[in-house]
Amino acid sequence: MTVLTLPAQPGQDAGMAPLPWRRMVWVTWRQHRATLISVPAVLGVVALFLLLMGLKVHHDYAALAACHGAGAAACENRASALTSTDWTMANTILILMNLAPALIGGFAGAPVLARELESGTFRYAWTQGFGRLRSTLARIVLIAIVLAAVSGALGELFAWFFGPPMQNAGMSPGAATVFVTRGLAFPAWTLAAFTIGVFLGMLIRRVIPALAVTFGAYLALGLLAWLVVRKLYLPELAPGRIVILQRLPAVPHFWPAQFIEAGWLLALSALLVAATLWLVRHRVA
Amino acid sequence: MNVIETSGLGKSYGRVPALRDCTLALPAGRAAALVGPNGAGKSTLMNMLVGLTIPTAGSAAVLGGQPAGSAAALDGIGFVAQDAPVYKSLSCADMLHLTRNLNRRFDQQYAEARLAELGIPLKKKAGKLSGGQQAQLALTLALARRPRLLILDEPLAALDPLARQDFLGTVMTALADGVSVLLSSHALAELERVADYFIVLASGEVRLAGDADDLLAGHRMLTGPAAEADRIAGQHSVVEVRRAAAQAHVLVRISGPAEPVPPGWEAHPVGLEELILAYLRAPGGAAQPGPAAALRPEPTEVAR
Amino acid sequence: MTIDKGISTAGAGAAGSPASGGDAGGGPPRGTGARGAPSPIEYRLDPASGVPTYLQLVQQVEHALRLGYLKPGDQLPKVRDVVAALAINPNTVLKAYKELETKGLAAGRPGQGTFVQATLTQVALPELTGLRRSLLGWLASAEETGLDEDGIVALFTSVLRDFYDRRGGADRHAGGDVRADSEGAA
Repeated sequence: MTVLTLPAQPGQDAGMAPLPWRRMVWVTWRQHRATLISVPAVLGVVALFLLLMGLKVHHDYAALAACHGAGAAACENRASALTSTDWTMANTILILMNLAPALIGGFAGAPVLARELESGTFRYAWTQGFGRLRSTLARIVLIAIVLAAVSGALGELFAWFFGPPMQNAGMSPGAATVFVTRGLAFPAWTLAAFTIGVFLGMLIRRVIPALAVTFGAYLALGLLAWLVVRKLYLPELAPGRIVILQRLPAVPHFWPAQFIEAGWLLALSALLVAATLWLVRHRVA
Repeated sequence: MNVIETSGLGKSYGRVPALRDCTLALPAGRAAALVGPNGAGKSTLMNMLVGLTIPTAGSAAVLGGQPAGSAAALDGIGFVAQDAPVYKSLSCADMLHLTRNLNRRFDQQYAEARLAELGIPLKKKAGKLSGGQQAQLALTLALARRPRLLILDEPLAALDPLARQDFLGTVMTALADGVSVLLSSHALAELERVADYFIVLASGEVRLAGDADDLLAGHRMLTGPAAEADRIAGQHSVVEVRRAAAQAHVLVRISGPAEPVPPGWEAHPVGLEELILAYLRAPGGAAQPGPAAALRPEPTEVAR
Repeated sequence: MTIDKGISTAGAGAAGSPASGGDAGGGPPRGTGARGAPSPIEYRLDPASGVPTYLQLVQQVEHALRLGYLKPGDQLPKVRDVVAALAINPNTVLKAYKELETKGLAAGRPGQGTFVQATLTQVALPELTGLRRSLLGWLASAEETGLDEDGIVALFTSVLRDFYDRRGGADRHAGGDVRADSEGAA
């Protein structure tokens, strides 16, 4: 025979102070273990690749730069063969880096709430003592912190990797495709994709459709930023002008522009989180 | 204390009302059965009581006046939704740990002992349990939180007869320990042994609500000549008239067993199932007036 | 003749622990009311019998008293255990125990449980045999007048009701006088 299930009497609870936030750390970890392990793991593999390849790239471009004087033509031909393959690879990775926030954020974000709704477990999770608004906020914030950290690190690693090819090709870090893959912009875009995914997951209530719409929304936002918004704070270089110099022209507004871009992206993310919480309050069942 | 009190509670999705004008007062210490056909509004009502759904009309309070969905309300209510949802990829031990983290009170010892009694290994993934075991796991988690009210949405639907017996045994033990219970079902027969309070819902309306004893004492079936049926019906508060060529049955509300029987007519007591079915058949106008304003005295202490 | 076990469930306390102390000689196997404090009997339930649940429990206790399974001082099964094994409402069990208290057959001790207080007279065998014989005679004459079985039952039930109603409603007992516990069963 088991212990009596005596219910608590009104006087027994020492006031109704809210449950401490730190309880959500284990909860979030356990509920999203797959995401919290796989995203850093995949990015870790990518990071390793970038590190190893980056060393090679740096070496190849240094070799090219070191070709002067007698035998320079032969030296340059040899080095160029290497660096052109490096350039192709680097460009491919650049494109992937532009898509990365959508992948990272989307796959991390869309299932957070959609999976609860799809599987019905929200009827357990949101009737516990830890209220659903607080628990949802905690989960979003905790995952966001991890995503910001790993994407920030990845952005910096890629910036180091891409340095020599970019310099050699005369590309400016202010170029749209490069600008978003480094500094504050890359983690900000990742967080934006994440919160888009979380919001659409709550709205659409099914994981796969939410994922699809998240990618679409991210692309739309990216286009909007490229065509309209970014022009407000980041002047473009005159088109068609390729500067072949050893040093890049300084982009006078790079860091302020980074701050502005990260700023409005984070504001948008916060808005999406607020909208998500509104849905969690009013549109559960 | 009323464990559940609603006043004009309603929920509409767009223009479709899932529940309307629901006024209830359920005293503590009961096992209340919420019965009605599919789509009657049982799940909608329960969702509002646990705060998952926001009402579009009226209000709901639980555990002696706490607003439904508030922190105090959630703290004191153990809820098991339909199909007993659990995280399928988590082990039973993880589910215990999770529930402990998400709640103010959690009796770990009770939960582990109970699962051991049921033969459910702690390491097993919740998704690999049988239907009956999952239901018992969900019930154990809810009871380990030491709630004052247990709300169960169609808990027996997917269970085989033995699993049902086990499940109800656990629920009745909790009732004996002082936990009030509200459970819904569209199968009436198995609830009759278990429930002592009935709430009948159909088409989003409360048709009948009250203690089983009061409901039985408050109704009677009059059987007599069909020719007199209309006259008799006019003299009483009628739930349903069924007539054949020579004979008619009139189900009426009475003030008590001492109420005189019309001459030439027989009076029979009505069983719960017959009563509830009659109210389910009757259109909205025949609904029993709302619950009595005066509270019955608290039942004598049940736990021994 | 053995008492049927209650419907066994995985969830209830284990059934069938051996009798501890108590009666010598072959008694019926003791069901476990609770760990460490067994009740000599266990209840069973017939949902289809039409008899209200609480009344079934009352009748089973009286039956057990008559046959000697229960003696004064024995504990009736604890409410919690009955409820776990049979999945019935605890108020039903309480109602049954209250009825037994009203009849003077049992008494509750706060915090401990409900205990048998008195016993039912057991009619001696020769008297029982005599009653049987006269009843058979009556049945034969009833059949001769043309009554069928249902008619006989209806007649008997109505006369039985009249007999006890005339005695006075609140004090009617289902089977024989109640004696205070002195020597125990005859």
